[in-house]
Amino acid sequence: MKIDYLQSIALGALQGVSELFPISSLGHSVVLPRLLGWDIHQNDDYFLAFLVATHLATALVLFGFFFRDWMRILAGLGRSLRDRGIAPGDTDARLGWLLVVGTIPAGLIGLLLEHPLRSLFASPRTAALFLIVNGGLLLGAERLRRRAPERPDGDPDARIADELTWRSAVGVGTAQALALIPGISRSGAAMGGGLLAGLSNEDAARYAFLLATPIIGAAAILKLPDLLGPAGDGVRGPALVGAVFAAGSAYLAVRFLMGYLRTHTLTPFGIYCLLAGAAATVAIAVT
Amino acid sequence: MNKERAVNVAAVVVGVMLLVVAGFYFAESASSLPSWLPGHEAGSSHHHVKHGIAALVVALGLGVLVWFRTGPQTRAAAGR
Repeated sequence: MKIDYLQSIALGALQGVSELFPISSLGHSVVLPRLLGWDIHQNDDYFLAFLVATHLATALVLFGFFFRDWMRILAGLGRSLRDRGIAPGDTDARLGWLLVVGTIPAGLIGLLLEHPLRSLFASPRTAALFLIVNGGLLLGAERLRRRAPERPDGDPDARIADELTWRSAVGVGTAQALALIPGISRSGAAMGGGLLAGLSNEDAARYAFLLATPIIGAAAILKLPDLLGPAGDGVRGPALVGAVFAAGSAYLAVRFLMGYLRTHTLTPFGIYCLLAGAAATVAIAVT
Repeated sequence: MNKERAVNVAAVVVGVMLLVVAGFYFAESASSLPSWLPGHEAGSSHHHVKHGIAALVVALGLGVLVWFRTGPQTRAAAGR
């Protein structure tokens, strides 16, 4: 079997947590199999098919977790399209278009550069090094943040819509594209960008998760034929199990992070990435 | 033609061109694409679906932009 059920449980649970924690799921899914001596490689067709299932599960969990927000946002988008403008004070419509504006550059870069970047940077050694870079980016974003990491009052979606400019939305969205490099975290790049744009930690995390949902979901749906086609032969069972564990761990991760980041910063995740990246670099070098 | 109108017309023209380009990417294999389009590759039967989606997304984005720019709120703001 290409991926056994024990591996699928471990990789699924890891994917769910590391996709949402700002620590790079792609980096971990490249480095971990190498450290454990598993014969699984990032560019193998069956592994990509497996990842489709776990990503889809993660996107569904995110959509479900923020379901009420999404319903408000979608209604706001519909209102603004109907009225051919964003009404003053319609924060749901504004947040919706901020998400659209942020999603387009990341989506375009992903569509056009995902394959070449994955081919270029998919070695465990490179992923471990970029994990260190990711740690540096998180610590740098905390240092350069425009606002103290307080817990503000009021509607978080309205705060985000008020604080973010169109330019910063494009910037945060584009920063997500850095995650095409294994080792750089999508949620970390978006959270860091949010901090630089003036959001609190909690709001930056919320915006990062809202921004991640269409990107992760669309990427998974686009690649669903890989899972259902010949590349998925012999992987669909483990992929289903992996998806269930990814969903469970993603739910716990987003629940934890939305609470944790009300009062804490990204610094522990940055330190973790520095240490894990350095340890993985050494381990890969000596094995 | 004033500047506002010129921008809108340009966005519509580029958007329609991108829709045509998206159609090429969806319908034609890499070898059948016009040589000036990114992704053209002689002898390849691969369909650049992702390129097509990218062109479609940008075309839709331009369409929405023009939709808003020609809406009553924008016109009212411009007339003030």
